[in-house]
Amino acid sequence: MDQAAVRVTNLRKSYGEVHAVDGVTFVVPAAHVFTLLGPNGAGKTTTLEILEGIRDADEGEIEVLGQRVRRIDRTIKERMGVLLQEGNFEPYLRVKEVLRLFASFFHSPRSPSEVLREVSLEEKANAYVKTLSGGQRQRLALGVALINDPDLIFLDEPTTGLDPQARRNIWSLVTGLTDAGKTIILTTHYMEEAESLSHLVCIMDHGRLIAQGSPRELAAQLGRETLIEFVAQAGVAPSPEFLGPACKAVRRDGDLILVETGDLVATMARLLEWSAAAASPLAGMTVRQPNLEDVFLSMTGRRLRE
Amino acid sequence: MRSILSVARAQLATALRERITLFWFLAFPLFLLTLLALIFSNVGTEVDEMTFDVTLVNLDRPVAGTADFSAGIVEVFRRLGEPRGEGQDPLFALHVPEQGADVPAYVESELAALRVGNRAAVVLIPEGFSASVARAALAPEENATSKLVVHTSAGRTSSDLVVSILDQVFVSVDREILTKLGLFDSSRALVLEERGVGSQGGGFRYVDFLLPGIVIMGFFTAGLFSVPGTILFGREQRILRAYWVTPLNVPRYFAGFALGHLGLCVLQFACVVLLGRFAFGARVDLLRPLPLLYLILAVVTFLALGFLVAALARTANAGMAIANIANMPMMFLGGLFFPIGELPVALRAVMLANPVTYLADGLRASTGTGAGVLPTAATIAVPVAWIALCIVVAVFRLRWDVER
Repeated sequence: MDQAAVRVTNLRKSYGEVHAVDGVTFVVPAAHVFTLLGPNGAGKTTTLEILEGIRDADEGEIEVLGQRVRRIDRTIKERMGVLLQEGNFEPYLRVKEVLRLFASFFHSPRSPSEVLREVSLEEKANAYVKTLSGGQRQRLALGVALINDPDLIFLDEPTTGLDPQARRNIWSLVTGLTDAGKTIILTTHYMEEAESLSHLVCIMDHGRLIAQGSPRELAAQLGRETLIEFVAQAGVAPSPEFLGPACKAVRRDGDLILVETGDLVATMARLLEWSAAAASPLAGMTVRQPNLEDVFLSMTGRRLRE
Repeated sequence: MRSILSVARAQLATALRERITLFWFLAFPLFLLTLLALIFSNVGTEVDEMTFDVTLVNLDRPVAGTADFSAGIVEVFRRLGEPRGEGQDPLFALHVPEQGADVPAYVESELAALRVGNRAAVVLIPEGFSASVARAALAPEENATSKLVVHTSAGRTSSDLVVSILDQVFVSVDREILTKLGLFDSSRALVLEERGVGSQGGGFRYVDFLLPGIVIMGFFTAGLFSVPGTILFGREQRILRAYWVTPLNVPRYFAGFALGHLGLCVLQFACVVLLGRFAFGARVDLLRPLPLLYLILAVVTFLALGFLVAALARTANAGMAIANIANMPMMFLGGLFFPIGELPVALRAVMLANPVTYLADGLRASTGTGAGVLPTAATIAVPVAWIALCIVVAVFRLRWDVER
């Protein structure tokens, strides 16, 4: 394996009776995008907060950028950049003033104007933070995370609430950072984002790590199945037995029926027969390959956003 | 140090750009100073700086060859109607009937002016005045009296003051007459020597009393509202959290915050003092060592008080509510705008526990604009005790980041 930027072993953090992080172990290789995936309350934010130095772990070992530490100290923070979930800046500061302010916290910061150029906010340099759009604020937050030219960057839901164009702008910036050899730890709700940006994905649920690997490896855990999705009419769904031996499973997700099959043609033929016999049209039918959402669904029986 | 200065600069810039903060920080103290100084502009103004509109009508027509005492009275009034010195106004703006005027009609019109407040007093020297003075002086056994008639406007301060001045003037005139008649030895008269205390000389002037109060009030509202507002809003909005993931730590942030707050207080102080001095002629000198000590103590006390409020509140709204509840009693029972007189026991307890009382009293005593009714040691010890209390509570209770 490549040199590790972060190594976490048996990390635990509890709030009273609630085990927010319950014995998590993972390794983040340097110059990779590592994504923590999970529904709300899975423990990914607490894990991130411990690694960012906001909270202390109850137990476990942490090694960051080659240093084994009990808690994240000032010297490690000098080499870290953090884009916080729902983070904010003083509304009456100008964009360039925010960057200058954060630059003053580090020993060897980059020039704010260079960072402004990198996040394409040069035209907004003199604008007050409160006048920025959601996308511009996130780009500013990314600029703040990059002001010290960090080796390790935390991006906690960097595109939540952004329109597709703004989201793609952030993605292209993240891709540029990995090309420059930066290590990125990302959390996101968006499967497409995780699949397109991540080298490694770690899926968490109830404070535990339930799967990890590259997006392709995780999807492969479902085998070579193809997924047929359609909306059930009047709550009826075909049984796996009726659809024949090629059908691996039939799952219901609200009104949506998901059929996993190893032989698309055979299962589709049986499905059409069932549709005619049950007088139930296959409304909104799509055929696709499994994604991370399906991996999570098959492992927990729930969707990520539930 | 660089990070501390940056936080201070950011704090200063943010406060000066936000309209609400700017209003409470700068506009409100200046507005209050202007308002109170205008409303109470006459309170404490020395009598020798005031001019009273006084009418004098002499109805006395002494018989030729007899003493004309009314002429002496007229002369006294004429002198009181002359400027007191170069560039100074007279004590009386004297109004007298013109030669050949209809005297009864003139008296009526002057009494009407007195009723509407355009005259402080209308003085009539009655007919036969000189004869009655001579009788009273030469034949005291007859118990004859000589009277001047002074019309005043009941309840009007200027009228009361004129009567008081005339009383003094006529005692002197009386003595003068008796001395001339050989009936009074002025060298044996009892002499009163008046010595003022608690002021730098020149008597009590309201604006000089008010100015230190406004300065303290400005520091007080700045600390009480601005500190918890910034800290709690920053915590709620995760503005502070963005600092904690950098090498900036709480002590450095606090140092920068306090420095920025001090900068704002200095700016506020400069504006208030300049307005007081140039618009209202305030003469109080706050830039001497002892007043400066009280000013710094006040900034630190109210900064600490702001942190106490921030420590007690879970949200920015709760913080503002606590600050509002504390504001009125602390401000109005601290003797900032008016000297505190006798108060009911409960209010007196609030006053005595209130750091504002001690700081305002100490500052005024140190500048000579107040009597300094509290012991000097208490004016320092009580605010210091408040600072200690606030620090202890803030250290144990104040959360610098959102709670989970």
